[in-house]
Amino acid sequence: MSLDDAQIVNVNNPQQLSSPDSTLQRQVLDLGSKRSRDSERYSSISMSHREINDGDARLVHVNDALKTNERFEFAGNSIKTAKYSLFSFLPRNLFEQFHRVAYIYFLIIAILNQLPQLAVFGRGASILPLSFVLLVTAVKDAYEDWRRHRSDRIENNRMASVLVSDRFQQKKWKDIQVGEIIRFSADDTIPCDTVLLSTSDPTGVAYIQTINLDGESNLKTRYAKQETLCKTPEKDVINGFIKCEKPNRNIYGFMATMEIDGKHLSLGPSNIVLRGCVLKNTNWAVGVAVYCGRETKAMLNSSGAPSKRSRLETRMNREIILLSVFLVALCMAVSVCAGVWLKRHENELEVLQFYRKKDYSEPEVDNYNYSGIGMEIFFTFLMSVIVFQIMIPISLYISMELVRVGQAYFMIRDNKMYDETSNSRFQCRALNINEDLGQIKYVFSDKTGTLTENKMEFKYASIFGVDYSGEKTNFEGEQRGYCIQVNGQVWRPKMKVEVDKELLQLSKDGNNSEAGKHIYDFFLALAACNTIVPIVVDTPDPAEKLVDYQGESPDEQALVYAAAAYGFMLMERTSGHIVIDIQGERQRFNVLGMHEFDSDRKRMSVILGFPDGSVKVIVKGADNSMFNIIDKTSKLDATEGHLQSYSSIGLRTLVVGMRELGVPEFERWQSSYETASTAVMGRVALLRKVAINLENNLEIVGASAIEDRLQKGVPEAIESLRKADMKVWVLTGDKQETAISIGYSSRLLTSNMHQVVINSNSKMSSKTSLEDALITCRNFLVPGGSVALIIDGTSLVYILDDTELEEQLFELASNCAVVLCCRVAPLQKAGIVALIKKRTDDMTLAIGDGANDVSMIQMADVGIGISGQEGRQAVMASDFAMGQFRFLVPLLLVHGHWNYHRMGYMILYNFYRNAVFVLVLFWYVLFTGFTLTTAITEWSSVLYSILYTSAPTIVVAILDKDSSRRSLMAYPQLYGAGQRHESYNSTLFWLTIADTLWQSIVVFYVPLFAYWKSDIDGSSLGDLWTLAVVFLVNIHLAMDVIRWTWVSHASIWGSIIATCICVIVIDVIPVLPGYWAIFDLASKGSFWVCLLGMQIAAVVPRFGVKMFIQHCKPSDIQIAREADKFGSSMELARQEIELNPSRR
Amino acid sequence: MDASTRTKSRSKKPQYSRFTQQELPAWKPILTPKWIITSFVIIAILFTPAGLLCLWASERVVEIIDRYDDDCLPDSYSTDPDSFIQSNNTNKTCVRTLKVPRKMTAPIFIYYQLDNFYQNHRRYVKSRSDKQLRDPDEADETEDCKPINGNDDGPIVPCGLVAWSLFNDTYKFFKGNKAIDIDKKDIAWESDKKYKFGSNVYPKNFQNWELIGGGALDESKPLSEQEDLIVWMKTAALPTFRKLYGKINTDLEANETITVVIQNNYNTYVFGGEKKVALSTANWIGGKNDFFGISFLTIGGVCFFVAINFILLYVLKPRPLGDPSYLSWNRNQGAQ
Repeated sequence: MSLDDAQIVNVNNPQQLSSPDSTLQRQVLDLGSKRSRDSERYSSISMSHREINDGDARLVHVNDALKTNERFEFAGNSIKTAKYSLFSFLPRNLFEQFHRVAYIYFLIIAILNQLPQLAVFGRGASILPLSFVLLVTAVKDAYEDWRRHRSDRIENNRMASVLVSDRFQQKKWKDIQVGEIIRFSADDTIPCDTVLLSTSDPTGVAYIQTINLDGESNLKTRYAKQETLCKTPEKDVINGFIKCEKPNRNIYGFMATMEIDGKHLSLGPSNIVLRGCVLKNTNWAVGVAVYCGRETKAMLNSSGAPSKRSRLETRMNREIILLSVFLVALCMAVSVCAGVWLKRHENELEVLQFYRKKDYSEPEVDNYNYSGIGMEIFFTFLMSVIVFQIMIPISLYISMELVRVGQAYFMIRDNKMYDETSNSRFQCRALNINEDLGQIKYVFSDKTGTLTENKMEFKYASIFGVDYSGEKTNFEGEQRGYCIQVNGQVWRPKMKVEVDKELLQLSKDGNNSEAGKHIYDFFLALAACNTIVPIVVDTPDPAEKLVDYQGESPDEQALVYAAAAYGFMLMERTSGHIVIDIQGERQRFNVLGMHEFDSDRKRMSVILGFPDGSVKVIVKGADNSMFNIIDKTSKLDATEGHLQSYSSIGLRTLVVGMRELGVPEFERWQSSYETASTAVMGRVALLRKVAINLENNLEIVGASAIEDRLQKGVPEAIESLRKADMKVWVLTGDKQETAISIGYSSRLLTSNMHQVVINSNSKMSSKTSLEDALITCRNFLVPGGSVALIIDGTSLVYILDDTELEEQLFELASNCAVVLCCRVAPLQKAGIVALIKKRTDDMTLAIGDGANDVSMIQMADVGIGISGQEGRQAVMASDFAMGQFRFLVPLLLVHGHWNYHRMGYMILYNFYRNAVFVLVLFWYVLFTGFTLTTAITEWSSVLYSILYTSAPTIVVAILDKDSSRRSLMAYPQLYGAGQRHESYNSTLFWLTIADTLWQSIVVFYVPLFAYWKSDIDGSSLGDLWTLAVVFLVNIHLAMDVIRWTWVSHASIWGSIIATCICVIVIDVIPVLPGYWAIFDLASKGSFWVCLLGMQIAAVVPRFGVKMFIQHCKPSDIQIAREADKFGSSMELARQEIELNPSRR
Repeated sequence: MDASTRTKSRSKKPQYSRFTQQELPAWKPILTPKWIITSFVIIAILFTPAGLLCLWASERVVEIIDRYDDDCLPDSYSTDPDSFIQSNNTNKTCVRTLKVPRKMTAPIFIYYQLDNFYQNHRRYVKSRSDKQLRDPDEADETEDCKPINGNDDGPIVPCGLVAWSLFNDTYKFFKGNKAIDIDKKDIAWESDKKYKFGSNVYPKNFQNWELIGGGALDESKPLSEQEDLIVWMKTAALPTFRKLYGKINTDLEANETITVVIQNNYNTYVFGGEKKVALSTANWIGGKNDFFGISFLTIGGVCFFVAINFILLYVLKPRPLGDPSYLSWNRNQGAQ
């Protein structure tokens, strides 16, 4: 194939020669996580030898949908994400809404009120609040569902080409069935999960883009089995069946066997293309549907992240229970008193003018509406529950939801959490744990991609014992890097790499010098020994093309780009050969074989046939695995030294070795390689054995150092988090040296920290090292000393297995300032989070970017996904997602702190607001013969928490800031307020209740004494109480507002005005008993005197106590606020802080 | 690259606005010691004279109260007040003499006061039909009035317990032998007379049964003119209440003796209630009530006391505002 055709990507399929099994394994590794070796280490347990149980399998007859679906057990391909139909909407929606306990409480009270015996409120007034809330939610749900219906319809009616009686015909997606054969063209979206049978590529490769599935934009390779490649479905009869596992949501796993023409093949994740993927760079592909519709992996994954409950809400529920106890106590008190009253007046009830027990209108004199004292007590109890119902603040739940939406709005729109590089805003995926962000105590962070950019860049090279780590020149602007001419077009690598001038010069000189020869070998090895596929992409300039190196490993990409920058440009990779442009001269190398990377060997190798006929094996791998198989020379020692210095500055290193193969050895290898790759049983092990036999006695070529740069602002962010008294743990799959060096560069570790390292290989040794570490730790637990714990995954395996050791580890870790876990597997990450979560009440946060962080993100109280290079798995599982690690600081210190404070205050305020109203009602009941008359009109009772007082608390809970962003960022220690539960705790709750009691007494008894023995009527007094309570709770709120923006002014004073208007409106309706009451009331001086007096009397104690505490025991927030306002002392503060840097 | 231009044109960077960045201009009051002391002192300064003013106003109101329920019960019936009050044959006239302590200037309001009468009892409050009172066509709207809603002769107008229990003691005042005119006009709210009680609604079937709760009504007068009923039906908020009986539009001089002739008809004996007649002048504060004055003086005094305590606190234990050495982490450091 000529280079001109290279537009259509032609790629060698290195796996073609190797066995299907190793293909499978390779794909498992790569899909798990491109960059993280950790997942490779643990997911590499070969799947190929596991058999599928018949019971757990589904049987798909290829091209025989009828037989496949004989027993109607498989879903069709039509999808339904919409929840409701026209008829089911009302019942189902109501059913779902009533899953909330609060609504059921609401409903029961409304129903109780409908009983004539218990009718406290009128029909309308009692149903209004519930129906209002239900209606709003139903409209919202209906709209959302209509949109889902629309998208379902579009999706289901898309067309696909399906094999029907030996011809491909267009068919709607929804009609596709399991077992049918489908043909896709380039850029088609795959309609269901299909096993590939053949593709346009002669080697059976298909490229797919999985952006819809996991957000990863680079191309992935999928393979059709060789056995099915040659078949054309229209002509050849394909007889066979596929036995695969039951549908599951693991998009990175697939296990199946295919029996075709009597041959037994195993299928893995590399043979299946999933619904939602797009076929790219492949003319066509043919596959057989195995999972359809709702059983596809994409659909199974479409359910949202599991919902978490906010800690504050959990604590709040405890107080809600207390409030219910109060409610029951109030109701009991009323009903017992009512019973006593009835008993005492038992003989008078018949003649009492205001009771009239007996009904004389009928000839038979009977009791009217009276069923004995016992029943009356019972009815009184139920009626008092109805009257005092808002003691349980139902509106609080709705307010909290609104407030969280408002808070999320501001978090999403915060400019300081917008990431320019990935053009991504902050995302709130979970809407119910905003306030948890303000109480975090432990931060668990992934390293690669989270602390670092996960953009690998080739930095230094050590070539044959010579260190090239000189000054770098960025060629951009001068020469625009290395480029080559192809048919009059300029090809250049897509990414520029900074190059070392000296090394560049030497490599240009070529083979002329001794050094040049080694450099030639080195870069050739970098360009050849990989699985990178070059893809040529167009640029706006027709004379210029860019070469994009696609591959799963960012390290390999970096190495190939580096080789290209030094003049060794990989241009083409096909089945059996690669073409490399070496300093302008195109050379073709035959790829005779390739041994894949595996986690046991920790290296890969290619066997390359050179143009001059010689054959060499090139091996690339991790240093510790390579040093064992490279001949010991002085050069090796020098390289080892260089490697140490590289990794000490946090670089990732790889070692390259090479050996020329003699003809007999090559032939020996070739025959064993072929036997191994065609073996039916134990192919992987055989191939590994062949590789190990070959990879020895190598000659050192060199070593590369790749930098995974720290993200911007990471050290500062970690410093801030540590100052805020959060414990930062780094959990990484990287090796210890790299982890420690990153720890230093991110200022996680400092030179005055004592490091405790635990590397154990057995339970016993883990135990002893833990005990030793605990002793050391105690010795260093003196002021000024801090301990950093560094522990590896192997030790963790033993420790997390044993409760006693786990306990010790927890004790140790909680005494350490920093914990670094290296070489940990994804599940271990979750295990470590669970270790802390189980043993403390402190809030945990996990942040990560890769699929391997998903378990940890879901385990932690708050999970944060970084939407970076690594795909969207972490983001999908997370509660919040953002572009950069450093955004954690404004997120936690600023937004988290605000949200926590706002929510805590709002909950307490809502308790107070409702309780004060209920208590006013309760006091009045004591003066009505315990009969639950309310002076306040029923409409005001209903509107109280809906209209009169709801807006200010929501506005304040969204907008108020207890401290400025500047102070919160400048003093991270202020975050401690949330960790210490300063805005919501039992003390505050009881103080609030005490205050509530006092305020309700003032509001009730001042008018009572003022109007005792006067001619005031019930409605007038009711209006006075209504206005007094509403004014009071709004003034109470106003006293606690810290920042008065126009919105807070509008909402607080607006509610007071709205209340007045409502009271007036209610009093101009002639059929209501309180007609004109407010006007009569307001025309008297005593009303105004009374109103003023009780507001002051109610508020003074709170005001006094608040001011006293502010002066004598000021909170940190209070001081910061003062410092913020009185700027001059702020400067003073700065100096002070610098002079006395705080400990820890 | 088109990719880069695309991202540029579709940048998701949030639009800057002071609102979205939570940087709206705001007033951030911090109450400094000066402010706190000033506010307490201001409250004290405002409330003390206001309290005195209220006391003075209340003091100027002249009030004569006379409890007559027990005294108007003849001794022979003292053990069985019910038979006295329920009988049609007993003489219920009762004469009381009152002394005017200070000069009372017109208008002088005459109230009757009931104690322990739960006009706010749930059974009672609900037992009325406001529709029926307004509109003769809705006379049948008596559902809420049960059991006093009607009989074979048709619905009762006005129905319900409230109207049924209409207060029916009457008072006549004499200065010496000369009767004092009692103005019984405009004792009810204007709004009630106009809109709540229809001028074309006439009492029907009222107090027609054996069990009589209270006063009867003149069937020839529309409800809007039955001001005693209108006053009575404005149910009182509290179990001890007064209702306006009438007004005296002449001044009463100090030390004058007034004779009150009472028709003691209304049964309060059954629930151990008290009946009082009250004569009172009024000013801006309403009737006689020392509560406002005392409570204002208390608030003023407490605030003054608190202000002094705060002054002492700030002098003895000053804390510079925004002093970082008070921050918790700096304090702890100092301790070490």
